[in-house]
Amino acid sequence: MAENNNNNADSKLIGLLAQFDDPESLVAACNHAREAGYKKMDAYSPFPVHGIDPAIGIKRTILPLIVLAAALGAVVVGLGLQIYTNSSALDFLAPFPGYPFQISGKPVFSIPANIPVTFEIIVLTSAITTFLGMWILNRLPMFANPLHRISRFKRVTNDKFFLCLEAKDEKFNRAASETQLNKWGAVAIEEVRQDLTDNDLPKWIPTAAILGAIVLLLPPAAIFSQWGQTNRHPRLHVVPDMDWQHKFKTQTMAPNLANGLDEVDLMYADLRSARRPVDGAVAFGSLDIDSEMNFGIKQDFAHAISSRKSMRTLLVSATDDKTAESSSGDSPALAADATENIDQWVTTFPEGVEVNEKLLARGQQRFNIYCAACHGYAGQGNGLVNQKALALAANGDATWTAARSLHDADVKGDAKNPVGRIYDTITNGRGNMGPYRAQIPVEDRWAIVAYVRALQETGLKTPGVDAATDGEESAEKVDPDAKPKE
Amino acid sequence: MATTVDPQGLDNTYDDASQRTPLVLGGLDYQGVTETACGFWEAEKAPKIWWILLLMAMSLLGILGGLVNHLLMSGVGVWGNNNPAYWGWPIVNFVFWVGIGHAGTLISAILFLFRQNWRTSINRAAEAMTIFAVVCAGMFPGIHIGRVWVFYWLFPIPTEHLAMWPNFRSPLLWDVFAVSTYATVSLLFWYMGMVPDIATFRDRTKSRIGKFIYGLLSLGWTGSARNWHRYEIAYTLLAALATPLVLSVHTIVSFDFAVSQLPGWHTTIFPPYFVAGAIFSGFAMVVTLLVPARALFGLEKLITLRHLENMNKIIMATGLMVGTAYGIEFFIAWYSGVQVESYAFWNRAFGNYSWAYWIMISCNVVIPQLFWFKWCRTTTWFMVIVCIFVNIGMWFERFVITITSLCRDFLPSSWAYFTPTWVDIGMLVCSFGLFSTLFLLFCRFLPVIAMAEVKGIMPRDGHH
Repeated sequence: MAENNNNNADSKLIGLLAQFDDPESLVAACNHAREAGYKKMDAYSPFPVHGIDPAIGIKRTILPLIVLAAALGAVVVGLGLQIYTNSSALDFLAPFPGYPFQISGKPVFSIPANIPVTFEIIVLTSAITTFLGMWILNRLPMFANPLHRISRFKRVTNDKFFLCLEAKDEKFNRAASETQLNKWGAVAIEEVRQDLTDNDLPKWIPTAAILGAIVLLLPPAAIFSQWGQTNRHPRLHVVPDMDWQHKFKTQTMAPNLANGLDEVDLMYADLRSARRPVDGAVAFGSLDIDSEMNFGIKQDFAHAISSRKSMRTLLVSATDDKTAESSSGDSPALAADATENIDQWVTTFPEGVEVNEKLLARGQQRFNIYCAACHGYAGQGNGLVNQKALALAANGDATWTAARSLHDADVKGDAKNPVGRIYDTITNGRGNMGPYRAQIPVEDRWAIVAYVRALQETGLKTPGVDAATDGEESAEKVDPDAKPKE
Repeated sequence: MATTVDPQGLDNTYDDASQRTPLVLGGLDYQGVTETACGFWEAEKAPKIWWILLLMAMSLLGILGGLVNHLLMSGVGVWGNNNPAYWGWPIVNFVFWVGIGHAGTLISAILFLFRQNWRTSINRAAEAMTIFAVVCAGMFPGIHIGRVWVFYWLFPIPTEHLAMWPNFRSPLLWDVFAVSTYATVSLLFWYMGMVPDIATFRDRTKSRIGKFIYGLLSLGWTGSARNWHRYEIAYTLLAALATPLVLSVHTIVSFDFAVSQLPGWHTTIFPPYFVAGAIFSGFAMVVTLLVPARALFGLEKLITLRHLENMNKIIMATGLMVGTAYGIEFFIAWYSGVQVESYAFWNRAFGNYSWAYWIMISCNVVIPQLFWFKWCRTTTWFMVIVCIFVNIGMWFERFVITITSLCRDFLPSSWAYFTPTWVDIGMLVCSFGLFSTLFLLFCRFLPVIAMAEVKGIMPRDGHH
């Protein structure tokens, strides 16, 4: 095969290849060639032959400098990656925010903790640069090398040594060079010819490459077209391992029974998946023996608490579950009204609630979240829900008891609504208003009470009737320093 | 060929001060080296024993696949890991395999930088062993993360689903970077070193498929002096990069333990002690593999007794380092005066797990002392037995460190005794199937000996 190509008329002579049998004669021949003035030549050997670099005038490669540059870049990238991902310092640079882990108060970025990863990134980058840089500088991979067509050359990876004088060299002369090579001890000499007939790429390859690239780009294009879009469908969940767990969830029956299986494998005899608290148990953080703080009822009237529905912890120890459940079925407001004595409500804020600017600000914020929807931001009873519900009620589409204005004469004032009663209203609801004890913690309820009193005392009203602008404007006008008159 | 002490015999373990001891025996020339190294690859049919070994290895690999599938379908509860030993055998196996994976790069890189020419015959096989051991090692933390399908959360890849990044101050994340960097760099180093030898395969193969595949893999290598020049520089650079890397990997693996506060783990001696242990076990594995391999593939003239003896000397040296570390740990436990630390070590030696501790001591400290005797380190069948004991001992070392400390943590009410399940045992045994399958295929289809490097260190008439 190789010989046939060498004699092809459509081929171009690109050099003379001389074979040597040992590395010493190769180095000697290289030295002769350099001294004879050849510049474009290369030696080929099965292993690196020492002393050949100066013999054919190879300059030291710049590869180490390239690797050094890559390593220095990797320092920046490695440290930058860690600063960006583990703090919020570089968030402005990237679409995804950093995530600062708070661990034992340690700094989010500290050199010692970030050395290992930086080091590994430096080594990885340098190694890949070395690897790729070496092949690129060597112009490899190159599969279409005319040398590979010479069968004798196959022994270059085994035990023979070759010197190739290139035809491009100024000194090159087909006959004279061959004589010289013979003189320098070549065992055999062959022409290296490049076949010109199959030099070009087949025409279909560029077209196929472009088409292939377009097809490969479609999936990423489809993904990026959805970037930042909203979607009504839930996220595709490939492995729903967290959705279907083999466990008994709270507030459910034991799964086997719920699935109607014959084999009943109950967690507990009462079909529950979890245990109820032991009688008299007080959940962490829910001890409510301070009647003024927790119920807004004076200590002297504390016995009245036990008749109220909210007294769960006191009730549970004294009564059986049935009583508690039946009373919970009743409207809490009715239960409250039946036993209400206006003197029982505290008229001053209980010990532990200090009315100050901070409390009022908190109260305002909570009021705007929980109360303003019905009562309006200024407490005039013109919240958006109220307006909408009244409009529906006027058409007969709904029944609705209007939310009260907090400024009404029969709502305002210690005689009608001492702070304790406002607190109780928030806690247990009143009339059509539902209880908020589950949503609002005790301290926040008192903060809202303070804010409600501030609204009432200042008597701020919403200018005009535009409900949309109502709240914000009037809320801003509230003087946070206003102290409830007590 | 220079005259040698005993050129036709294959014992080159005697030093003759008047000349360099040859590392290639049997009077082989360049052609002879090529033919010896390619002999097994060029054989028309692989010997029966290779097929039998491959069949056994692939059976184990198949079982491993089944076990991993069982684990993924059922969850990590199929292992013995439970409170308080959340790190059970998977992490023990991980450290064991990644330790074994240290010898290859050590031989390729550190011995290269120290100009230890005897490395050339064994480095290729050792590097291959490194990569296959790292594959086994990487599998264990990979399946230990529970939800394998979101393994990419280990890496700093932005995901809207998770909406957070890895914690770069955690040794477990350092481990991700260290092991994946090590695997990548080892692979590059291995492949780059192999290209000239794959070119030899390309030029010798007779099959069309072989011509295509080896042609592709050898990248058109011609052995040009200009290519060799850059190649050698690149090889030195990679060796210089791989040297600190190989030391950093087991250092960082030891940080998984040392940076925590558990008694028995929280010690500064861990990094050097782990690295010495890794070299110890890695060399033992190289000897265990190469002794049968050189007999099976007819490589006695290239992987000589002297090579094996040198490795046995390193095994003995690193074994002594490991033994010293065991002693220092006990000294510090006493000298620190910390009660929990003292208890942790007393418990290792005399507590529930004393059986494991004394297996470790006998295999790692006592048995390698046999290598003081020349007969022991130059008799092939005997050294394999010693090296197998070393690897048993090194597995138990990781077991002792991981399990005894976890089972005796700060809260006595949670103390427990760890019991592995059949899945634990199966996965450890079958991971050898994965390793052996890869190694056997490597021996048959890729150059086992770095021919170009061996030829480069052969003495030439009138020059040495």
